[in-house]
Parts: sequence; structure tokens; C-alpha cells
Amino acid sequence: MSRTRRRWTQLRAGALDTFFSVATGVVYVFLLAPIVIVVVYSFDRSSTGFIWTGFSTHWYRTLFHDGQMWQALRVSLVVGAAAATCATVLGTMSAYAMARRRFRGRALFNALLLMPLVVPEIVLAVAFLVFLVRVRAPLGYFSLICGHILVVLPFTTLIMVAATSGLHRDLEEAAADLGASPRQVVIRVIVPLLLPAMFASFVLAFLFSFDDIVMSTFVNGVGTTTLPLLVYSMLKLGVSPEVNALGTLLVAVTLVLLLTTGVRQATVMLKRG
Amino acid sequence: MATDVATEAPLRVRRARPERHWSTLLLIAPSIALLVGFVVVPFVYVVRVSLATQGPFGSIGTGWTLANYRQFFQTTYLQILGHSVWLSFENTVICLVVGYIVGYFLAFRAGRATPVFVLLLIVPFWASFLVRMSAWMILLSPHGIVASILHTLHVASSSVQLVPSNGAVLVGLLYVFLPSAVLPIYAGLRTVDPSLVEAAKDLGCGTHWRVILPLGRPGIVAAALFVFAPSLGVFVIPVLLGGGKSLIIGNLIVTLYLEFRNMPFGAAVSVVLFVIVMLGIVACLRAMRSADGSEGGLF
Repeated sequence: MSRTRRRWTQLRAGALDTFFSVATGVVYVFLLAPIVIVVVYSFDRSSTGFIWTGFSTHWYRTLFHDGQMWQALRVSLVVGAAAATCATVLGTMSAYAMARRRFRGRALFNALLLMPLVVPEIVLAVAFLVFLVRVRAPLGYFSLICGHILVVLPFTTLIMVAATSGLHRDLEEAAADLGASPRQVVIRVIVPLLLPAMFASFVLAFLFSFDDIVMSTFVNGVGTTTLPLLVYSMLKLGVSPEVNALGTLLVAVTLVLLLTTGVRQATVMLKRG
Repeated sequence: MATDVATEAPLRVRRARPERHWSTLLLIAPSIALLVGFVVVPFVYVVRVSLATQGPFGSIGTGWTLANYRQFFQTTYLQILGHSVWLSFENTVICLVVGYIVGYFLAFRAGRATPVFVLLLIVPFWASFLVRMSAWMILLSPHGIVASILHTLHVASSSVQLVPSNGAVLVGLLYVFLPSAVLPIYAGLRTVDPSLVEAAKDLGCGTHWRVILPLGRPGIVAAALFVFAPSLGVFVIPVLLGGGKSLIIGNLIVTLYLEFRNMPFGAAVSVVLFVIVMLGIVACLRAMRSADGSEGGLF
């Protein structure tokens, strides 16, 4: 191979690499700029949300006094907490069964658990709604919570499967050898080991449920409007600085939640050595 | 004490085995019940409803008919279907290209800072979905930042209408689906054997298009799967960023259910959407299998 040809190939490879790095930089700006925009404009005095007019916390005060927002927040918190708890518990049970027990139809069970992930949420929501109408179930907290569990369950299960696969069988056997009954093994050995992952799975499930729009649109009832649905109806009328204020608060809370989960898990791992 | 436990333990294990069978059932029963009861059965019922007549006051009739499907396969609705599939396809292509760029960077150029970059990729994902959409509504507004930049660069006139528009919808979709595209591609590229790349370089060939891209194909196909299927069901983004002018399947279903209360027809549309999604998934899985040479190694 001639020297010039090799040098040309190297040059091309170098240019390609630079392109990738620069392009990625642009993409990251694209990803993070909107968040910055929301935070910045939440402190904008004007309501148009386009041109910056001056610093003000006016919109935060408006948000604080908005009764509808508080009600919607209440609904979202209740539904989120309930759905996340159930999904975490169910996910842990399923993951443990798949990791430690042998049973027929494992592949089918696996597919069943992951199905809500693959199917578009709107198909799930429609089917669930039609079913609820047929059995004449009332639309409200119950329908919302069950619907959210369906949406969130694959994620919690996946997390717990990853966590249970890291469980050392030796620990359970050692506990049994030392005289622990099967129940004691579960309560004193397995659950404490899985607790960090369960916490992370709860946080993730809660965030997904809190942010959910599609399922909530179909199965919410009168008086149980979730926060995203309220925000969506506000946004349909145009940009609202109140939404920006809410958004900033949500970003802050989410960051805190995620950081605490990360810090907690890190400290647990450090303690265990 | 220890010797007592040692002689007791084997017996306990042997006796526990039939007990384990029941406890296994107890572990998986609730999940199965929930999923079968609230997903599988309802979906079977949706198929039934799609074949039903429309009852009075928006309820579901008791007859059997193919009228709902016949109504769907008319020009207007087929147009909506075509528009949705085309939008998802456009979005998938864009996400794959951008996703590949970022995935390549993360796999080969980020080095020790990779976890930080991955975190930065996911952090916007954690900010509320609607907040992100609201941000784009602001950014793309006529007097917003992007319009100002374009105007300064003399690319567009002073009052260009960036939003609502089809382009804005694609931007919003890219923003939402990018992490789903980057992560599989990154995972796939990470499995590329560096020695193969070295060997190709030593032999003097352009390593990228001939070596890295083909080896990363399973990751790319997985990314396509994770973007195309879910994007067929979106309905919020087109309304907020597209002005809801061009209807897509998601909006159609919402309208039929919540405004027109035409459940049988809505059910028929859902079934069609589901079938299309399944076809897309099968196509992707088949592409993954042929790229891998093995049994779809994703889950």
C-alpha cells in the first residue's frame, strides 16, 4: 500500500473522529439547553415567555396559590406512591422467582412481564379502559393506580432481575446452614441485600408514574386529574410561565431524588466493601 | 450446638422442597394475575369490541360486524395511518443517525468520562416530559432564541414560524427518543473487539465503514426497535409542537374514545396500530437475528 494512500486513510479517520466528537458536543447542548431555558424563564417577569424582561419570583407565588395544581399534585403523589410500591413488590417477587426457582413456562412469563414495554402505551391504555368500562368499574384512583402499575412493572422487574442476579447463593446457603429457617433467610438475608435496588426501583417507578400522560389520559376519572394532565391542558392553550416554575421545581426535586438514590447506593456498596 | 444444626440441616432442605413449589407459585401468581387480567384479557376484549356494533349513547353494541375495519380502510383514515408510519419512520432514521454519532463517541472517544456523559444523556429524561416540550415551545417560538439565531445567520426571515410545524414535531420526537436510541447503539459498539479494528488499520483499510459499522449492527437494529414501535403511539408531541393540524393515529384514538365515544371504531384503530407495531418488531427481530447470527441476544 502506498504511503500517500495510507496517509489519506489516516487523515480521513482523524477527520471522522473529530466530526463525531464535535457533533456529540452539539447534541449535548441540544439536550441540556431546554432545561436551562425552563429554569431561566421561570424567573422571567413577563408572561409571554419569549423575551426576557426581568427577574421575578411572581410565577412561583402564583403556582403556590393555584388550588387546582395542589389537587393535581396530591393525586399524582398518591397514585405514584401506590403504583411504585406495588410495582416494586411485584417486581421483586417475580425477579426472585426467576432467579432462584425453576418452573415451567419461564420464557412465557418473561415475555409477559416485558410486554408492556414493547407495546405502545396507548394500546395498553385503550385496552385497559375498554375492559374497565365493560366491568363497569369506576374511573378514579383505583383505575389510575392499576394502570400505572401496568406501565411501570416491566421497569421495576428489570431492575430487580439485575439485582437478584447479583445475589450470591452462598449467602443464603450459609444462613440456612447456620440454622435459619427459609422464612428467616428471606427476611434477614435476602431482603436487606435487595433493599438498595428496591429503593432505586421505587424511585424510578415513582418518577415514571408521576410523569405519565398516556395511561392517565384514558383511565383518570372526574376529580382525579393528575399533574401532567393539568399541565398538558395548560400547555395546549400556550406557553405558561407557571408551567416553567413548576418544571423548575420538578427538575430540582428529581435531581435531589436521583442524587440521594445514587449516594445511598454508593454508600451501601462502600460499606459492604 | 453446631453438630446439631449440621445433622438437622440436610433433612430440613429435603423437606422444604415441596414447600418451595407452592411458594414459587405465590411469588409469581400476583404478577401473572395482574398482567393477564389487565393486559391480555382486555386486549382480547378490544379485538371483540372492534368487531362490535356501536350501541346507544356511545356504548358497545352486541352485534358482530366488520364495518369498523371497513370504515378504517378508507382514504381519510388510511392517510392518517400513512402519515403516522411515515413520521415514525422519519423519526427513527433521525434518531439512528444522531444516536450513532453519540453512541460512537461514548464507545470510543469518551474514555474515563463515559459514565458522566451517559448520566448527562439521561438527566433531561428525568425532567418532566411536559416540561421539556414546554421548553421547546419557548425555544422555537417566533421571537425565541433559535429564530433569533437563524435570523442573524440570514437563514430565515424575521418572523419565521418554527412552531407549530412538522419540523418542530421531529425535533420534539428526537429529544424524547434519543436516549432510547443511543443506549443500545452504545452497548452494541462496546462489544466490538478492538483487536479487529487494530488489524484492519494495520492492513490499511478504512476501519469505520468496513469494520465498526457492520459489527455494531445488532445495536443499531435494537435502537430502531426501541424508537420505531413506541413512536407510533405518540399523541402529545404532535399536538403541542405540531398544532394538531395533521392528525396521527395516537390523536385519532384519543379523539375517538374521549370525544366521539365511538368505542368499536376506536378499538379497530387500536388493533390496526398493534398489528403494525408487531410487524415492525418482528422485522427488527429478524434483522437482529441475521446480523447476530444467533438467537436474538437482547433479553
